[in-house]
Amino acid sequence: MEYVSPEGLRLDGRRPMEMRQLRAEIGTVAKANGSAVFEMGNTKVIAAVYGPREVQNRSQQINDQALVRCEYSMANFSTGDRMRKPKGDRRSTEISLVIRQTMEACILTHLMPRSQIDIFVQVLQADGGTRSACINAATLALADAGIPMRDIVTSCSAGYLNSTPLLDLNYIEDSAGGPDVTVGILPKLDKVTLLQMDAKLPVDIFETVMGLAIEGCKAIANYIREVLLENTKQLEYRRGL
Amino acid sequence: MVGLSVGEKHFIQGGIAQDLRSDGRKRLTYRPIYVETGVIPQAHGSARVRLGATDVIASVKAELGKPSALQPDKGKIAIYVDCSPTAAPMFEGRGGEELSTELSVALQRCLLGGKSGAGAGIDPTSLVVVEGKVCWDLYIDGLVISSDGNLLDALAAAIKAALSNTGIPKVDVAVETRSDEQPEVNISDEEFLQFDTSGIPVIVTLTKVGRHYIVDATSEEESQMSSAVSISVNRKGHICGLTKRGGVGLDPSIILDMISVAKHVSEQLINKLDSEIAAAEASEEES
Amino acid sequence: MAAKPGSAPVTYSPNLGQKTRPPIFKDNDLDWVRPDGRGFHQCRPAFFRTGAVNSASGSAYAELGSTKVIVSVFGPRESKKAMMYSDTGRLNCNVSYTTFATPVRGQGSDHKEFSSMLLKALEGAIMLETFPKTTVDVFALVLESGGSDLPVVISCASLALADAGIMMYDLVAAVSVSCLGKNLVIDPVLEEESYQDGSLMLTCMPSRYEVTQLTFTGEWSTPDINEAMQLCLDACSKLGKVMRTCLKEAASASQE
Repeated sequence: MEYVSPEGLRLDGRRPMEMRQLRAEIGTVAKANGSAVFEMGNTKVIAAVYGPREVQNRSQQINDQALVRCEYSMANFSTGDRMRKPKGDRRSTEISLVIRQTMEACILTHLMPRSQIDIFVQVLQADGGTRSACINAATLALADAGIPMRDIVTSCSAGYLNSTPLLDLNYIEDSAGGPDVTVGILPKLDKVTLLQMDAKLPVDIFETVMGLAIEGCKAIANYIREVLLENTKQLEYRRGL
Repeated sequence: MVGLSVGEKHFIQGGIAQDLRSDGRKRLTYRPIYVETGVIPQAHGSARVRLGATDVIASVKAELGKPSALQPDKGKIAIYVDCSPTAAPMFEGRGGEELSTELSVALQRCLLGGKSGAGAGIDPTSLVVVEGKVCWDLYIDGLVISSDGNLLDALAAAIKAALSNTGIPKVDVAVETRSDEQPEVNISDEEFLQFDTSGIPVIVTLTKVGRHYIVDATSEEESQMSSAVSISVNRKGHICGLTKRGGVGLDPSIILDMISVAKHVSEQLINKLDSEIAAAEASEEES
Repeated sequence: MAAKPGSAPVTYSPNLGQKTRPPIFKDNDLDWVRPDGRGFHQCRPAFFRTGAVNSASGSAYAELGSTKVIVSVFGPRESKKAMMYSDTGRLNCNVSYTTFATPVRGQGSDHKEFSSMLLKALEGAIMLETFPKTTVDVFALVLESGGSDLPVVISCASLALADAGIMMYDLVAAVSVSCLGKNLVIDPVLEEESYQDGSLMLTCMPSRYEVTQLTFTGEWSTPDINEAMQLCLDACSKLGKVMRTCLKEAASASQE
């Protein structure tokens, strides 16, 4: 199948290095301490953060840092064909773990000992790149909850199809079976916190694909900062400052 | 569980007794309802309903299936509700399952009518393509994103809105198939059939706090309830389902009184909801 | 464990208070007979027996027509460690079907909601504050499903709770009514339930005249609701008497 047309356009009309449209909204779940919706094209996820609060299960308490927990779940209607999956299947357990580890790396957990932070991400629509979208949404929700972080984490994926590096794969491109590199970075510190790839790639091409994904992450970071700044301005305005 | 101090409890109960609730509403006033349709493009129909801090999404998906042998002239409708852990940390893992089942069953009871299909809000015979062979299976999924009480009413409203937003592809049946064969069908991409949603009931939950009952209770108010009755009423003023949800016993005459109150409240709610749905549909078409 | 051949089964059928009731049956409807030959407003013979399970703190067996149910009650016993402290007791209910309960093997499992319905029907009748920090477990097993399963389970469970000596305000009696066409049919059997246009289940405490649980399905008009509720309440009070007799018999037998 041809994923990039001779004119250099992808199936959804994007250029190979073009990202899908981003949209983010902060504070959608009123009862949570922090929450955000993050959309990348048709992929739409909600993240909610509860905490820092008392540890629910005493045996999990850590005396010198905060306990970070994460649960990823997909809505029944999120995918094209409707299926009813039991909660906690292997895929969602794995993604929960990835998100938890990525977020734990940027939260200043040592400032909140003996407490617990819960991150819940819910996929409303899945169209490729849910992993990245979840991480981006979780970052926004953590920032909304006012949890101290080293830096924001942003994530983006890139692939390699028809000998072309492609940024931000959608579902069709993702299921083509080609390599899929998901990168998470701390943009200010310029550090990589998450790197995943399936399938195989020659090292030199991998470097270009990863470079592309990092560029994507940086673009997302700029957008997220804008959203946060706008949100802060709104809050400031409401306070009458 | 909402942790409330004794003072807060008294404040809520006292407010309800004086017909002035803590958010300024009267006992029988709903919070403002916001409806947004077409929120899930992948589904055949979807809607998001917000009632104060309660936020739910309903989606409708239709798949071609085979009607059951017992009821060859009816399509199948299934309603599932899921409580997302984003709504409350207690829904994490399997924690939300109990509430999800309870809500699903209550919605099924209120919307799908009796076993024979009589009194259903959605006419299951309208889903049949070829009798005994092909029918639409309708999957209605509800998702609770944020919870601040009165989930059942919000979910029923969301399902009503999602169904009026639903377009089911028109199906052409290839002629000349023998009676024992599965007929070939052709799903149209352009023509869609709309549902008649005027018969779909709304659910009014009356929560009894002290000696009075209130509609659209917040989760703080729900924690003070002695019992709650969810009544589904359609436009004709007929009761389409009723569930008593927990709590202490009630005198039969009180229940009958609650039913008449619910009927009265439902008229306003149906009108309000219909105009909200129409407005949401209009704004969706514009964009 | 069936009714002894010698003792006649205790039947009860509610009488309606109104004397001049408009005929609700059309001419052709009158020909229609119920599968087991009962009148529309006649319940099945009810048989109750307490003490069916030796290892439980209380248990009861109920048989209405072909519906056979056994309920055992354990506790009050210490709540699980993970549970938070509570100054009232907890009730835990579970309803399950045997694999041979239904005509087609293993079809009785689609009743997940029965457990929570049972809980809600009973919790209003039990004095939960008399056993803080502890849990009472109610396990119901439907041996044979013959229609009106849930009402039978609820009535039987309240007997089992009484047998276990759990403090209750009153026994809980439950009856359901099916709406078939224009007729209201009390205590429906499986066959009637599968054709019903609407149904109503009412559980109440007969002596206190309080409704603990009420569910409606299908479309109902107000006069129908009134009639059906009256019918159920009347049947519940009569069923309550049958249950009470069963408890008295058990108590006098143990004294001897």
